Parts: sequence; C-alpha cells; structure tokens
Amino acid sequence: MALLKLEGVTKRFGGLTAVDRVSLEIESGEALGIVGPNGSGKTTLYNIISGVYRPEEGRVLFEGRDITGLPPYRRTQLGIGRTFQIPRPFSSATVRENVAIGAMFGTLGGKIGVGEALELADHYLELVGLQALKDKASGSLTPVEKKLMELARALAMKPKLLLLDEAMAGMPPKDIDRLVGLLKRVKEEEGIAIISMVEHIMRAVAGFAERVIVLHQGKKFLEAPTAEALSDPRVVEIYLGRPAEVGDASG
Amino acid sequence: MKLRRYYPLIPIYLLYLTLFLIGFHVRGLWQPMALLAFYAALGQAFNIFLGMTGYVDFGYVAFLGLGSYGMALAVSSLYRVEWLGGGIIVIGLLLGLAMAALLSTAVGGIALRLRGAYFAIATIGVNEGFKYLVTGARLWGGSEGIIISGDLREAFGVEVANSLATFWADTLLFIIAALAALVTLHYMQSKIGYALTALREDEEAARVMGVNTTKYKIIAFITSAAFAGLIGASGWALKMTYVFPEDVFEITYTVEAIVIVLLGGAGTLLGPLVGGIIYGVLKYWLAVLAPGLQLLILAPIILLIIVALPQGIIGVLKERVRGTALERVIV
Repeated sequence: MALLKLEGVTKRFGGLTAVDRVSLEIESGEALGIVGPNGSGKTTLYNIISGVYRPEEGRVLFEGRDITGLPPYRRTQLGIGRTFQIPRPFSSATVRENVAIGAMFGTLGGKIGVGEALELADHYLELVGLQALKDKASGSLTPVEKKLMELARALAMKPKLLLLDEAMAGMPPKDIDRLVGLLKRVKEEEGIAIISMVEHIMRAVAGFAERVIVLHQGKKFLEAPTAEALSDPRVVEIYLGRPAEVGDASG
Repeated sequence: MKLRRYYPLIPIYLLYLTLFLIGFHVRGLWQPMALLAFYAALGQAFNIFLGMTGYVDFGYVAFLGLGSYGMALAVSSLYRVEWLGGGIIVIGLLLGLAMAALLSTAVGGIALRLRGAYFAIATIGVNEGFKYLVTGARLWGGSEGIIISGDLREAFGVEVANSLATFWADTLLFIIAALAALVTLHYMQSKIGYALTALREDEEAARVMGVNTTKYKIIAFITSAAFAGLIGASGWALKMTYVFPEDVFEITYTVEAIVIVLLGGAGTLLGPLVGGIIYGVLKYWLAVLAPGLQLLILAPIILLIIVALPQGIIGVLKERVRGTALERVIV
C-alpha cells in the first residue's frame, strides 16, 4: 500500500486549470523529486496534499485512507508535514518555540507536554545547526536561517511524509550538500518519505531523489528515475534552456 | 511544583495589593481604586481573547451584561430563601459566569469558524441584538431592568447589604482580576498558549502545522467571556444594585476594553493591568478636570500612544528587558 496516492487530482481556479488530472504514488521511506517552473502547478499540488485546497476532481489517499476532505491540521496529525517556499515563522516566538510548536501539534500531538516539545525542538535545532540561535526572535533571522528553521519545525512534527517546498533555494552549494546529507540520514533513521520540490533539476534533487516527476502546465509531463530524467532531452531543453552536458547533475 | 513559572505573577499581585491597600486605608480613594480594579479586570479578561488570538470581539460587553443579569436574577429570585445566606451572592456569580459562557459558546461556535475581519463584523450585531431582545421581548423586566437593592436589604439587613455593594463588590473585582491573570499565565505556558500564538501570528500556517485553530479560538473566547460574566455580576449588578439593559449593553465598554488591552500590550500578562490603570487614572482625572468630556479628550491621547507604541507599553518594555534578569518577571 502506497503511503501517499493521488488519483487524477484536478484543481481549477475559475478558467485556469492549475493541476490537471495528476496521479502519483510514493512509498514509505522513498525520496521523490517534483520539478517544474513557476506556474506548472507545483505549489497547488502541495496545497492539495496538505489540505489547503480541495481538488475539484480526484482523490488524495494517505495510508489507504481517503483524506480528500480532511482539514490541514488533521492531515498534519496523521503525518503529513510541510515547509513553505517563503518561510512562515511565528515571528513573535523564539526559534526554539517555533520548532516546539511543530512538535506539539504534529504526530506526537496528545502524547507530549510543553517541556518535552521544547527538548525535542533542541534536538532538531542541533540537527540543522541552529542551536546557537534558539532563543532569538524568529522574525529576526536571515532568509537562509528561516529556511533551516522551517525544516527543523517540519521535522519536529515527526511526519511520515515530508513535503519540502524549494527548501534549498537561495542556499550556497555547500549548505545544500550538507542539507541533502542531513535529509538522507533523517530519511533512513526515521523512515520518512520525502518529496522535494524544486524549480530546476539541481544538485539538491539529483543526489537525493530516486525518482523524479516533471510537471508542465499542471500536467504530469514525465515520471522517471532521476538519472533518466536528467538526460531526457525534452526535459533538459525545457528546464535548462539548452541541451544537457555530462556533469550537469553535479554542477 | 516549580515555583519559578509563577514569577510573572509577582509584579501583578503586588500591584493589585498596593491598589487595594491604598483604597482601603486612604480616605476617599476607595472608589477610584475600585474603578482601576474594574478596568484592570476588564482588560485582563478581554486580553485572553483579543490579546492572545488577535481577533476583535465587538460584542464583548454583552458578556458583562449577561453577567449582571445573572447576579440580578439570582438575587431577585432567591432573596427570600434564608438558609442560603451569602450563598445567594455565590450563586449570582456562578449564574453570571454560566450565562456569559453559554452565549459565548453559541456565538463562538458559529462565528469563530470565520477568519479575522469577518468574525469582527459578525460580532457587532451580538450586543445590539441582545439588548433589543431584552427590551423588545420584555425579557427580565425589559427596559425597566431589575432592581435588587430592596431584595439585598431584605435578605441581609441594611448594614450587610450596604457593605456588599460598597465594599465586597469591589473587592471581588480585585480577586477576579487576580484570577484572570493566573488563568492567562497558565494558558501562556501550556499548549493552549502556543496554539494561540501560532494562530495569532499566521492562522493558515498554524493550521498546516497541525493546530486546530477553531478549537483554540473557542477556548480563549469562552474563557474571556466567563470572566466578563464574573465582572458584570460583581462590578455592575452587585455594586450598583440594579441592572438596566441600556446601561449594561453599552458598546462604549467594548471600545474601552480594546483600548486598555492595546495600550498596555496585547497578549502580554502585565499589559492589561498597566493599560487598565493608566486608562482608569486618565479617565477619572479628566472627569474631574473636564466633566462630560472624558471620552472626547481621551480618544486622541490614546490614539497617539497606540500609533507610537503599537506593541503597547509592556510590549516595548519586554523588548528592553530581553536577556536581563527582569525577563522572567515582565511577561
């Protein structure tokens, strides 16, 4: 049974079809990449999975259960965690408190108290390297620090499925590599399935996702193992703007 | 039991005690202190909703009104039951609390599913609607209200009835304010507080993070309303010994409550108390200097403070003491 299954999901905004009959599956512990430029429907797809939008057609199934009608907070409690492309910290709270909120209302919900949530927050802050800033007001962080905090907060939710939205955009390559290594570790240690969404096929996805789905104008354009997708000339042309060369994946 | 978590209550309780003692020992200052206690309690109660959720309830005074009716109804129905004694007052308080809580459950259950501004608009009608219900349907005496001064004298004798209205009603306000502060602190330090902070900052992100925002909004709403009920029961019905719908469903008090919370610092513990004291002092002082013009002169003064200090006085103070020892106490 797939962890997450989308069946022919369609979302329309007036005359615009943002997501057009998209189906996909992801298993527990898998790493999937979703690629596509702005306007291809990526964010809308995420919003459908996390429950912010309700699709006009199709179903969303999580662990075999139809969650199409469930509100976002219920899905989080079931195990769907998410980061935002533009980080959304709870600005007046400290970094530590932000991450603790993730722990308090995620899958551990009723089982942990405030003190334990704060301890769990410390653990994940150390993992992403932000422990020095834990008592700072989250609104005063740099954009990259905010992205790291978003990640820590999502991990603290102890999700079964983690949706990363451009989680590494704007980061220097060294940080991306470190983060990819971190995600790989977390994936293995905690058995989380991770979907990473990026605008272009980058080092972030290439070294990390086993398989890639390419979105174009709301439709699923291609689904293939990462290496294949990288060398597919149609994809490369659309997203890199020129024919591929050897070494593009690590460049 | 870790006592450190209660440190923030120290300045608050000290302030309340100081006000009480000043009023008790200095001739002629009891009424002014009682006024400050009223505004502090009002601020403390309203802060639990406005301050912690960021939502504005324009119908808030309805809960004070219902609280007053609770006390008035209890006294006017039970004053002949001798064995109850002082229990009548307790029943009055509880009835006031219950009635306010009930209305808030009904209103909140519907209106709190709406976001921010839509909720505010929806609540405007609550207070006015209730006032016209009472007067139009001749509920609880209609526009003639309920007078309990005679009932209190019959139940307790002239002396005790007098002390109830002129001393105990006001003392109760201090106690209610102190209780509201305790509950506020408890919420702040628990999951409820974190949920409210999250939904106040970014409601949609909070929902995605797993917070059932409607549930927590309702919790804050009912709590805030319950305290308003207690304040109305003691600070209005018991103190004045009468309840008229035109008085107790007066929208001005909602506006004053909003101003007090914002002035002191919305969402802080100390804020509403400071805001209540400053507002009460200004209002009383202006009433002496330029009677009849209090509200007119007050509004621009307060607007100025709000524009210059959006976080409120305590909000600014909190920033200043961040990283120092006072941080634990200025909350």
